Amino acid sequence: MLNTDRPLSPHLQVYKPQLTSMLSILHRMTGAALAFGSVMLAWWLFAALDGVRAFSLVQDFRESFIGQFMLFGWLFSFVYHFLNGIRHLKWDLGFGLEIKSVYRTGYIVVVGSIILSVMIWTMTGGK
Amino acid sequence: MVQFALPKNSTVTQGKHYPAPEGAKNKHTFNVYRWNPDNKENPRLDSYEIDMDKCGPMVLDALIYIKNNVDSTLTFRRSCREGICGSCAMNIGGTNTLACTKACEDVKGDVKITPLPHMPVVKDLVPDLNQVYKQHASIEPWMQNDEKPPSPSATNSDAVAAGFAAPGRERLQSPEDADKLNGKDGHGPAMCIMCFCCSTACPSYWWNGDKFLGPAVLLQAWRWIADTRDRMKKKRLESLEDPFKLYRCHTIMNCTNTCPKGLNPAKAIAEIKMQMVKQKE
Repeated sequence: MLNTDRPLSPHLQVYKPQLTSMLSILHRMTGAALAFGSVMLAWWLFAALDGVRAFSLVQDFRESFIGQFMLFGWLFSFVYHFLNGIRHLKWDLGFGLEIKSVYRTGYIVVVGSIILSVMIWTMTGGK
Repeated sequence: MVQFALPKNSTVTQGKHYPAPEGAKNKHTFNVYRWNPDNKENPRLDSYEIDMDKCGPMVLDALIYIKNNVDSTLTFRRSCREGICGSCAMNIGGTNTLACTKACEDVKGDVKITPLPHMPVVKDLVPDLNQVYKQHASIEPWMQNDEKPPSPSATNSDAVAAGFAAPGRERLQSPEDADKLNGKDGHGPAMCIMCFCCSTACPSYWWNGDKFLGPAVLLQAWRWIADTRDRMKKKRLESLEDPFKLYRCHTIMNCTNTCPKGLNPAKAIAEIKMQMVKQKE
């Protein structure tokens, strides 16, 4: 009997991670992180309205290791999503779609977002 | 639908090992995806050690060597062996390309060969291409023009006289207009060989391949939209006006990165999107 229940060929399991797809999924993930971060921002603002006790609770969390880690993650997400967003706008206007240019702007965005977010972080002292 | 893991019947198991014949000096290992519809077993990865001194330089040469000398049941598509038919498209060393134009020595370490990704497998390295062919047909890939072809005129009388054009039957094009199809550098949309390396490299096509047309078919859609002899540009654009067919492209760019012919499907899709906006103005 011929087995017509055909298997699906491997995809993510074999496909080589490369700058094109990795920056694309990073754009999606930083977008999701930004959405989550804005909820945290709302929590912070509501706590400020709520009074000293609620606010200091948020402040304590923000200054904890996890809080600082999340805050830096949010900052990096913002910077990366912003810079890569410019790259997307450029593509939508029909520019920079050659592979050479895609790789060049890709590296610029990655290095740029690391430098910029570290710069902003040190300038504001993680506050 | 996004499903990261393979279905139960599709997970790949470790297969047989075929060592190189004794005395082989220039050994290279090929790990090849195998699936046989004659039994209910899962796909497996067989590994073949080949003596490269006895085998041609390309991955297709190695596959043919295996089929002729080691395991005649290995099944794959091939025809022209020079990168123009698109039959031997498969995933080699993690990216999609043509086995006939990929040199074995360009793959670091063992050469892993699997069928074009996220496709139903007919046997071994042969994927079922029915869906992509249907999608190709859906964009009506032929010239559509109700106007009568021009009779010999100032524009084509020279060509008619020289025997290059039949009077009243051909629609001539300026070299500039032809460049839009062939590309100034020979990498225009008309040079596509329909191997579907690009579509099967696209994560968006993996997750929404039933509704998203994918880079290869959209490149062909653009080939007809950009053709100055075609008169159905408006209709062609309207038929792509859909949340999935065109707009599931998120400019990931895996398509252009993997095209074995050096074409740019991502750019063609961007052109379609821009024409879409222009049409609405």
